Amino acid sequence: MTPVQQALLILLIPLASAAIIALFLRRKGGIASAVSVSAAAVIAGLSLSLIASGEEINKSWEWMQLGGLTISLGIKFDDLAALMLFVVSFVGFFIHLFSTGYMHDDKARGRYFAGLSIFMFSMTGIVFADNLFMMFIFWELVGFSSYLLINHYHEKQSAADASKKAFIVNRVGDFGFLLGIILCYWTYGTVNLTDLGEISASGGLVYSKLIPLLLFCGAVGKSAQMPLQVWLPDAMEGPTPVSALIHAATMVAAGIFMLCRIEVLMVPEALNIIMWVGTITALYAALSAIVQSDIKKVLAYSTLSQLGYMVAAFGLGSLVFEHDGHDVLVFAGVGAAMFHLTTHAFFKALLFLGSGSVIHGCHHEQDIFQMGGLRKKMPITFITFTIGVLAIIGLPGLAGFFSKDAILLLAMKNNTVVFGILVFTAILTAFYMIRMWKLVFFGETRSDNAAKSHESGLSMTLPLMVLAGLAIIGGYTGIFRKLGGSIADRVPHAHGSEHTMILLTSIAVLIIGSISAWVYYKPGAKDSLAQNFNGLFNGLTTLKESFDALYGYYVAKVQQRFAMLLNFLEQIFLAGLIIRGFSGLVGLLGLGARALHVGSLHAYVHWFLLGMALLWVLTSGLF
Amino acid sequence: MTALPFDPLLLAIVSPLVVALAIALGLPKRLSVKLAYVGFGLPALLALHAWYHFPVGLGSDYAFTTNYNTGLESMGISLKLGLNGISMPLFALAGIVGLAAGLYAIQSGAERLKIYLMLLLTMQGGLMGVFASIDIFYFYFFHELALIPTFIMVGIWGGRDRNYAAMKMTIYLTLGAMLSLIGLIAIYVKSGANSFDLIALREALAAQPLADSVQQYLFGLLLFGFGILVSIWPLHTWAPLGYGAAPSSAAMLHAGVLKKFGLYGLIQIAVPLLPTGASHWVTILAILAAFGNVLVVGLITMAQRDLKQMVGYSSVMHMGYAFLGIACLTSMGVGGVVILMVAHGLSVALLFLLSTCVHHRTQTFDMEEMGGLAQKAPVLAALFVTATMAGIGLPGFANFWGELTIFVALWKFSTLYTAIAVAGIIISAIYGLRAAARVFFGSPTEAFTEVSAKHPPTDLRWGEKLPALILLAALFFIGFWPKSISEPVDGALSRDWPAVVSTAAK
Repeated sequence: MTPVQQALLILLIPLASAAIIALFLRRKGGIASAVSVSAAAVIAGLSLSLIASGEEINKSWEWMQLGGLTISLGIKFDDLAALMLFVVSFVGFFIHLFSTGYMHDDKARGRYFAGLSIFMFSMTGIVFADNLFMMFIFWELVGFSSYLLINHYHEKQSAADASKKAFIVNRVGDFGFLLGIILCYWTYGTVNLTDLGEISASGGLVYSKLIPLLLFCGAVGKSAQMPLQVWLPDAMEGPTPVSALIHAATMVAAGIFMLCRIEVLMVPEALNIIMWVGTITALYAALSAIVQSDIKKVLAYSTLSQLGYMVAAFGLGSLVFEHDGHDVLVFAGVGAAMFHLTTHAFFKALLFLGSGSVIHGCHHEQDIFQMGGLRKKMPITFITFTIGVLAIIGLPGLAGFFSKDAILLLAMKNNTVVFGILVFTAILTAFYMIRMWKLVFFGETRSDNAAKSHESGLSMTLPLMVLAGLAIIGGYTGIFRKLGGSIADRVPHAHGSEHTMILLTSIAVLIIGSISAWVYYKPGAKDSLAQNFNGLFNGLTTLKESFDALYGYYVAKVQQRFAMLLNFLEQIFLAGLIIRGFSGLVGLLGLGARALHVGSLHAYVHWFLLGMALLWVLTSGLF
Repeated sequence: MTALPFDPLLLAIVSPLVVALAIALGLPKRLSVKLAYVGFGLPALLALHAWYHFPVGLGSDYAFTTNYNTGLESMGISLKLGLNGISMPLFALAGIVGLAAGLYAIQSGAERLKIYLMLLLTMQGGLMGVFASIDIFYFYFFHELALIPTFIMVGIWGGRDRNYAAMKMTIYLTLGAMLSLIGLIAIYVKSGANSFDLIALREALAAQPLADSVQQYLFGLLLFGFGILVSIWPLHTWAPLGYGAAPSSAAMLHAGVLKKFGLYGLIQIAVPLLPTGASHWVTILAILAAFGNVLVVGLITMAQRDLKQMVGYSSVMHMGYAFLGIACLTSMGVGGVVILMVAHGLSVALLFLLSTCVHHRTQTFDMEEMGGLAQKAPVLAALFVTATMAGIGLPGFANFWGELTIFVALWKFSTLYTAIAVAGIIISAIYGLRAAARVFFGSPTEAFTEVSAKHPPTDLRWGEKLPALILLAALFFIGFWPKSISEPVDGALSRDWPAVVSTAAK
């Protein structure tokens, strides 16, 4: 099998799986899950062999051509795509496997697994896309699959609202994204990524801030950066494995992947804005995470914060590397962002699946203040979850430590203020993660659901163990180089005194954040922060909710009222006065038509037939 | 090209008309219904046949051409039939939507089913004729043939406000049709070609174009004449009202196919024959379409409570994209319009069909009194969400290609209008998903709980599912394989339009 055929199979097998389930297996959840999981297994296998082969693919087919506009369907498979493909297919497969256990008793399993397959199809499409039009197409399709899956429990109003919100907010981002693509098309005559790279290499790029910033809008929507971050916490209404796959590991990271794809179009001003958007998102989300009581919401804000980290890393841009004795300027942002994307996919998928295991074990209890003491009841979940927590807060030796350090190093060299904010965010990260960890697993059980909890089955614990393994080893250069190839060469590494500095910072961050949370939070049914520092707690809650309040106000009070007003004017003026007056002014024609027709439809028919007959008679020369 | 022993286009036009006539002459009901299957099925098959056999890279303009003398040749009128790359996709659209609407009508159990089917079949014959006619007299004649049954169907089988709706529709559409008729006759007179044959007119006017002032005047006439028929803002108010009241099969055929007559007339006749005239009007056209159809009507769509009116308004909004594509006066823009016409025809017909299916289960079109229908009718919910996604231009469906091409083309015309048009994808997502959520998701409202206690809602029957699946299959087919439609369109445009574009640009 040639690499191109392999890539096409990876793309099309999940589509076939979705089609088969939708058409034939709607009521047969068991078979549907088997079909979907085997599809995921096959593409994971094919992806691994494609990545291992080390082949690059650059091939495209014309999809549509119209009036000079050509849109092609192409596959661009290089180190960046290989890395992303690994994350999508490998993590994706284990989440499929986990779902067979988690969703076992769901009555709409068929729909769920069809949705997962559509998602895998759309996501691999983004990974393979060799041009921006194609990326946009699959970009919208992942949005659609996300909509379907968030809305899985559609009888809940909150789920219906959340799915709608996610899709619409993403479309706001896509508005800019699509304009950016069109502008890029007319500026360079192509949106093919390889061609754009060549134009850039030959110095043919126009200096444009607008193109990269418009394209970045797409990433702001998909990766839930401020000010479009509001949909991601709500998206937790979906089943937990969906949150792990789509809203933590892969789809939300697509924005970062897309930025790395268009790195050649970046200019310093654009990067600066991107960096600040990411930094502020990272800080805002970490602050919001502290006051959450829903285990999934904590993880959702944590995901937002980490995505902000990645976006900031990308925006931090270039760094001078020493290479064979020469100094070369390398776009290290790509390396750092993709490195963190990868390790984050491992440990965040692990944490979400772990929370899924907890929720499943606790009979769908999601409030961390109603849990407690689960350490002994769910030992495998506890151990693997702990590994995930330690990875995200950056315990030296685990995956998150290496990737976070790469970003901090880049920030330290390029922008001190951003460095400071990111370090503070890291402290907050350790703080809220340890808070959650302690409340869930330690102390006494605080509710019946938690008391009756049990360890999950093998289909759920096996993915936890595999992902825990990856969360441990995923950060080592040797491993990452195997996956990322040349991307690994662009990850910044500290040397000498910088190395010591970064290492000490990380350890200090870790200790300050986690010890203070461990000491401060007492296991109990109430939030210690809310009890002791009510003002601070309320302030953070208000901060978190201010965006939703603002948008809610806009939608309900401004947009909807304006729409109602227009509708009113339409009914009154256009329908009533203006048009009737106008039709009078048109003159005899309008009046004549009205005179002929008022009250009788049949009259019209008669007039028409009479006219036809008259015409016939005249022209046939009968008169 | 074609191995058939008969003229497929004529047969496609005549077969529904013959069945309609037979029913009118008093066929028994059972036989009428059986023959109606033939009357709707045959045109669809013949249209697909024409699509499949349509030659790519056509030497002459039109394929499958034939000419029949109808006794009007002294006036330069003859029944000249043929398909080019622009009319062929629309001919196929008429066949497919006609089949779906027909299948739905046959099993709908409407009162006075025979007359209903007879009128629908007449409409179907007219629709096939509109897009197969090269002669613009017959083009217009077939339009009227399809239009009159619409009024009657709204008046007799319509829902709420049917008399007012029928009246308003009649006034507006007659006005539009008359304006365009005057324009067409004026072209015939001024061209001096002494023929209604579009090919002859094109040759005559290419050799000797009309004076700029005449072109400007005539194009304006045609623009507003055809524009009313396509519901250009602010002359659009008949559309939501009429569709809201029309019986579903009539709404499917009118919104899906007949409405495209106006756009087709602009693309195939008005712009190519009067290119300089067109260039005078594009700014006004673009302003009306972008601010009126896309923005204002888009926002109005959001405020609708009535499901069917919402679909009607959304259709008016999407016509804004089509007008904007025409305003570009480039082959890319117009090509996008042709794809959008086909795509929109399929998707809006599907939405009208499914809205009626919703109505059968909720006994109301008021979205405030629905909710949670997905729990009772999951297949209906799935199809409705899919149709909504098609309508709001999700990739994978035909509509996406039309919208995308128009957006790209529009950038060269004006970045402002591009931004407005692209903002439309947000607006349409809002009203589309909001409607889907209100009807199907969340918990049932009190009103709906009462209704469903009295009439327990069931999921879709095959009689409802089959026509929906036909339309959906067509949307998917074009969505995944856009070349199937872009190739003939591109062929026709790349032959005829460079001249038009360069003349208009002068």
